[in-house]
Amino acid sequence: MSSNKAVFKERIIKQILTAFAFSSLLFLFLIFAFILVEGLPLFYKAGVKNIIFGMKWAPTRGFFGIFPMIVSSFLVTFGALVIGGPLGLGCAVYLAEYAGRQQKMFLKPALELLAGIPSVVYGFLGVLYIVPFIRTFFGGSGFSLLATSIVLGIMILPTVISISYDALMSVPRSYREGALAMGSTKWQSTWRVVIPAAKSGILASCILGMGRAVGETMAVIMVAGNALKIPGGLLDPLRTLTSNIALELSYASGDHRLGLFSTGVVLLFIIMVLNYFANFVIRRTVIK
Amino acid sequence: MLDCALKTDKLNLYYGAFHGLKDVDFCVYRNAITSLIGPSGCGKSTLLRCFNRMNDLIDDVAVQGTILVNDEPLAGIDIIELRKKIGMVFQRPNPFPFTVRENLVYGLKVHGYNKRRYDEILERCLKAVGLWEDIKDKLNTPAMSLSEEMKQRLCVARVLTVEPEIILLDEPCSALDPIATLKIEELMIELKRNYTILIVTHNMQQAARVSDYTGFMLLGDLIEFGETSKIFTSPADERTDGYITGRFG
Repeated sequence: MSSNKAVFKERIIKQILTAFAFSSLLFLFLIFAFILVEGLPLFYKAGVKNIIFGMKWAPTRGFFGIFPMIVSSFLVTFGALVIGGPLGLGCAVYLAEYAGRQQKMFLKPALELLAGIPSVVYGFLGVLYIVPFIRTFFGGSGFSLLATSIVLGIMILPTVISISYDALMSVPRSYREGALAMGSTKWQSTWRVVIPAAKSGILASCILGMGRAVGETMAVIMVAGNALKIPGGLLDPLRTLTSNIALELSYASGDHRLGLFSTGVVLLFIIMVLNYFANFVIRRTVIK
Repeated sequence: MLDCALKTDKLNLYYGAFHGLKDVDFCVYRNAITSLIGPSGCGKSTLLRCFNRMNDLIDDVAVQGTILVNDEPLAGIDIIELRKKIGMVFQRPNPFPFTVRENLVYGLKVHGYNKRRYDEILERCLKAVGLWEDIKDKLNTPAMSLSEEMKQRLCVARVLTVEPEIILLDEPCSALDPIATLKIEELMIELKRNYTILIVTHNMQQAARVSDYTGFMLLGDLIEFGETSKIFTSPADERTDGYITGRFG
């Protein structure tokens, strides 16, 4: 009797846990549903081309062009990658190949802390130090593509480092031994064997870092300048897709509000594409 | 008196507090195959890895005693030069996850060979390991797509590219099937004309088939060392006799 009861209890627990697990799927579905339901009608009304390739954003007057923001989002993402990619990879290589146990014990928690710092703090430091620095030494207002790229470059570090690190650590020891036994130096074996062997994982870390950069909002608003045009240079201000939503949602109504949801649809699409590529790259590594 | 390409004198090795090699006096004769046999954990791989300093990769290893490479103290030889001169083939075939060609030119790049010599060296080394005919049209395919036996041959070829004098083989056939094993053994016999070979094996028949000299190790001691035929037919030590007749190990 009591064993029957135990079996029953087990089954209930399993079902409850299953429900919990699937609830995250439900949330995802709801988010998709709301954004699409709210965002798609405007594409129909104003025209996909006018929204995605439109140069002018004046939603209260019927202009919903978000092309400058799409370009800006890509520019800051690329900028973040240029800054955060090499730095992150360098750090991951140090951690995986060179650091002793003590350095690792010190660096790994530090990186987790870096990941845990709220983005507003990054933005705050950006406004206080990076923006004035750029204004003083390079000119312009300081609120710029450059400032945004630097802030985002630092913010994607934890993503790039932790995933690259895992990729490097999963390179079999036998490759390193093989390379060293050939008479290569540590750096030669790292550069010519270990990093190439981990390249899919490193690529995935960069793609996921890009996903983080595309989606970042608060810090970007604070340092980007939020101008509604395609930046002509590193020192020009810009506005990203995420900033657009966050800046205007509080007072938008009617078609304006729908326009922001359309911005969200485009953003969602970009993130999905990035995630797809990251998964594709990671899966290819696992199979190999 | 035959001359020793590798020689140890009162070699002791410690992993932390563990005494891994005990007063080992050993010699690897030139242009011959020397095998090391013994049960797992007896120190045979450790001894082999002393010669190209692969034990350096492990923390907490201390080595005492003398190792001579061509009568020159190992301690005085630059590690890069040492590992170029003494190549190593591992237990599991470990080609890099690149193309066949990239695997073979790796050592050449690292040691700064002239690019114009690559093709000629590649061909020579692949011929030496009997892969040339099979693989000459597949130089740009991934090395990982080869069979296990071909991978191991490729690893031998990779070692040969940088012109070593001595080749260390650490249980090179333990991941291979019996037919592939025989083929690798034939390759070893082929190679001993030009190279000095030291092989660690847990397979006694293999030692008997390929090697000219055999050392038997037990718990860090080199119990007995001599001509293979003598070790396998009339061992001097009863522990050797016990091992080769299968009473333990």
